Amino acid sequence: MDELEILKKDWKKQGENYPRLSYEEISKMIWKRSSSIVKWIFVISILEFLFWAILNIFLADEAYWKEMELINLKEFTIVVYIVGYAITFYFIWQFYRNYIKISSTDDSATLMKNILKTRKTVKYYIGYVIISTAVTSLVYLYFTFNYHIKNAVPEEAASYEFDFNQWLLFIGMTTIVILIFLGIIWLFYRLLYGILLKRLSKNYKELMKLQV
Amino acid sequence: MDKELEHQFVTNLEQNQNIVHKICRIYTNDQAAHNDLFQEISIQLWKAYPKFRGDAKFSTWMYRVALNTAITLYRKKKRGIQTIDYDSVHFRIKAEEYDGEAEKQLTLLYSAVKELNDIDKALVFLYLEDKNYKEISETLGISEVNARVKMNRVKTKLKKILNP
Repeated sequence: MDELEILKKDWKKQGENYPRLSYEEISKMIWKRSSSIVKWIFVISILEFLFWAILNIFLADEAYWKEMELINLKEFTIVVYIVGYAITFYFIWQFYRNYIKISSTDDSATLMKNILKTRKTVKYYIGYVIISTAVTSLVYLYFTFNYHIKNAVPEEAASYEFDFNQWLLFIGMTTIVILIFLGIIWLFYRLLYGILLKRLSKNYKELMKLQV
Repeated sequence: MDKELEHQFVTNLEQNQNIVHKICRIYTNDQAAHNDLFQEISIQLWKAYPKFRGDAKFSTWMYRVALNTAITLYRKKKRGIQTIDYDSVHFRIKAEEYDGEAEKQLTLLYSAVKELNDIDKALVFLYLEDKNYKEISETLGISEVNARVKMNRVKTKLKKILNP
């Protein structure tokens, strides 16, 4: 006899053996929080945004702004903040839309499309964070450095002068430090979103199998 | 969302909850995971309910939403170890005629099903639910021919798991 037929017979016999939840239990249940992957991507993006915003508020005290003014970066910093927040808000909005859009009533083709879209949004977001961090840290580095060159005491300046090899060493070291820093950020985001994305991509592959 | 809609939905779900329990049975290994998935499916059903237009039967619509949740949207906890929960075995022994040999075979069959991937589990589930290929194809959003081919592959896979 076919294996599945044996199972089917037993399956039918089991019919009434399942637990039964009451109306009240179900009613309570539907208001509990959902744990689907896309929702977590959305939630994490908000938490992360709050984390950086709060960190900024604490770090950007008066002394910080004075320092920025000194090295002529006050306007630049303000612009960076505004643009940064605007872009982050845009991504949060996108995550929210993905969350709303991915719905379990869709057929598998639509679901696949939406899963791909969510993955793409997250990847763009991580790309944006890394590129913007790289660009801003280079700008800050340049201006800070420039400021110190200009303001060095003339007598001492001679002893600070770099020859070619020292320049090379300096640039090399800075590049390495920045790269390590970016690497850490990249790793952090890979871990944060990677776990969720991995599950999503696994689902995607399973849906693919269905289509073939 | 208004109270009337909620009442309608909860009543419907309460009457058809067996479907969800059965899906949880196929997709989870222990009671905690079973409850988790049940809750997730209920929430997804409720979220999708305003879009349910009543042109299909509530239960038919439920199959699709619930399976989609189990296959794609549900974040499973560690799925590494495949064990048969003591409770679920126990729960089955209640069947009227106790026959050691048949019982053993059934346990093996159930654990073989647990080893299938999510999509294959969905096919097995719909098959066990006595759905014909037309209904299977509609629920999963694939063609009827495709459903047939897939079903045959699942049968082969099961045979391979059972007789390695």
